[in-house]
Amino acid sequence: MKELRDLARKLLADGDAGVVIGWEEGRRGARPAFITTPDDADKLIFDARCVHNLANYLNPRKPQVKALGKPAVVVKGCDAKAVAGLLREAQLTRDRVILIGVRCGGVVQTPEMPAELTEATVATRCYGCDVREPKLVDHLVGDAQPEPPVTAALDRRIAELDALSPQERWQFWTGQLAKCTRCHACRQACPLCHCERCITDKTQPQWIESSSHLRGNFAWHLTRAQHLAGRCVGCGECERACPVGIPLSLINRKLQLVVKDLFDYTVTDDPEVPAPIGAYAVDDRQEFIE
Amino acid sequence: MSAAPDKRPTPKGKGTKGAAPAAAAGAAATAVAGAALCLTEENLGKLVAEIVAGGTRLVAPAREPQAGVGGSADYRYISSAAELAFGDSLPRMSLKGFFLPQSEVLFKWHRKGADVEIEAVPTEFPPQIVLGARPCDTAALEIVDQVMDWGLRDELWFGRRDATTIFNLSCPVEDASCFCHAVGLNPDATRAADGMLTPVPGGYLVETCTEKGAALIEGHKALFESGDTGAAAQRSKAAAQYRADARAKVAADLQIDTTRIKEWVGDHFDDDFWTALGPRCNGCAACASVCPTCHCFDIVDEPEGVGHGARRRNWDTCQTGVFTLHASGHNPRADQNSRFRQRVNHKFFIYPSRFGEVLCTGCGRCSRVCPEGQDLAEVLACIDELARA
Repeated sequence: MKELRDLARKLLADGDAGVVIGWEEGRRGARPAFITTPDDADKLIFDARCVHNLANYLNPRKPQVKALGKPAVVVKGCDAKAVAGLLREAQLTRDRVILIGVRCGGVVQTPEMPAELTEATVATRCYGCDVREPKLVDHLVGDAQPEPPVTAALDRRIAELDALSPQERWQFWTGQLAKCTRCHACRQACPLCHCERCITDKTQPQWIESSSHLRGNFAWHLTRAQHLAGRCVGCGECERACPVGIPLSLINRKLQLVVKDLFDYTVTDDPEVPAPIGAYAVDDRQEFIE
Repeated sequence: MSAAPDKRPTPKGKGTKGAAPAAAAGAAATAVAGAALCLTEENLGKLVAEIVAGGTRLVAPAREPQAGVGGSADYRYISSAAELAFGDSLPRMSLKGFFLPQSEVLFKWHRKGADVEIEAVPTEFPPQIVLGARPCDTAALEIVDQVMDWGLRDELWFGRRDATTIFNLSCPVEDASCFCHAVGLNPDATRAADGMLTPVPGGYLVETCTEKGAALIEGHKALFESGDTGAAAQRSKAAAQYRADARAKVAADLQIDTTRIKEWVGDHFDDDFWTALGPRCNGCAACASVCPTCHCFDIVDEPEGVGHGARRRNWDTCQTGVFTLHASGHNPRADQNSRFRQRVNHKFFIYPSRFGEVLCTGCGRCSRVCPEGQDLAEVLACIDELARA
């Protein structure tokens, strides 16, 4: 912690960064912090409750963050994947951000939980994590962490759903999506949802109905899923933000598995590796036009 | 326990503007009149069965039928007592969706040559009963009544309000994010309720506060016991203790003066305070979705085939950029700082200026649901401190 605070203090004092975006203690657990003066650097914390993907604040369409100056952002490995996504998609240039990597031993599901990692509390996204020491960084802080407890709950649930008949699966998703209020919290929480104008906000023409009837809800969630295929880093922030508890991670994880199968692509923190949505290969599978 | 009746009518005509300040209204609304009866757990089940058998729609906190994420109840239409989840945590969503559905049809249209035929929707609704509403959710309805009857009476809102009988569940107080007392309510408030259930050993103490509430009891008289004097006294004592405990718990959470806050917010539109709050907010608007008093809506026309369609109104929120985006492309609230300020401004300055009370019942849902840890109680405490300085 001292290492992180000292670094933040120095970056702010030297004028290298206008704001350090990390985590602080809130009344309901850890939460994002925007540190703009060296004196406040001691507010910074990092532990297993720091679940938020702070790469979301690097979205170029957030003028309130831009106004604070050049950001230095604390990133876990999974957050660094989202930063790589923004770099890959030309939403950010590498020299406009300072990345402070933290070695991560996994996070809990919500920031209000105690920091103890158990099979019951560990976030599903930590399963199979390959970036516990982020590489896309300018500074790396913290000690090496032990492996988090293993939970394959998400993949188990996907296998269960895959085993259902299409009618049963339809029924499951109909039940889930019927709850959607179309607040679009999922979109706002997503570090990769950075469109200048989201398709669901377009009205001329209105591609996606904004009403929260099943037709509109399916149109929204299917479009969002398609648009995130091969881009979603699996941080689970959409599911955490959803006020009605729609298990969006099931969709995102399933898409990761499909993209892996179709394009042999796994989301990476290397911004030089193109994502399938932005690349073409002559040997791409194309059974769909047979 | 005071026996002062609480018969605040639903505002009907004009002339309801500038009602009593929230603090005064809320304090009076905690009193319950009417005979204190007992409803055992077993008879609660029978009551549910009788209501459902009678064909009346029944809303109560209940678990999701298919096991989903999370363990909290939601207000749902239920068909058996087995679905009841009175003991669960505060329902995830407030009660407002039963009066202002997240999406509802205002009318349908059919094009007939050069003409358009309008098909109206009914504005009268079959009766529905809510059992186990939290006091903060019920009180919110009466607060929102004011804007729904502001110059133009919203027939759909009041149609549902008139058709509904609400029995509150005296609240045990959820957690430290609750602050109903700080905005003039209490965990056992009966504002806008027709009656209240207070948990006592073996069942609930039942009190009524309107004729509607009394009629519900009358219709199922056999299920409500008054018992002997000794038992009744014991129940009243247990209920009083339950309420006192809840009040003490919530009173520890937040100490503010909403009048002082209103003045400060009104005078500090350009204060740096707002620019310090905005960056954390990602504009997800989950706060507005779960809020019992947020009531803004958008109106859309949706074709449903060739030559016919529906005009709908859908929940909307000031936390999104498109809420204020002009056709020209200009956006008067171009960043999240100004959008978050708007949320606080509307609830604690604009609404009290217009209608005499804050647009908040202190349920704390916005703080619980915020994925980024934005905390309204903390924001209010900060403003209160600034206002005092």
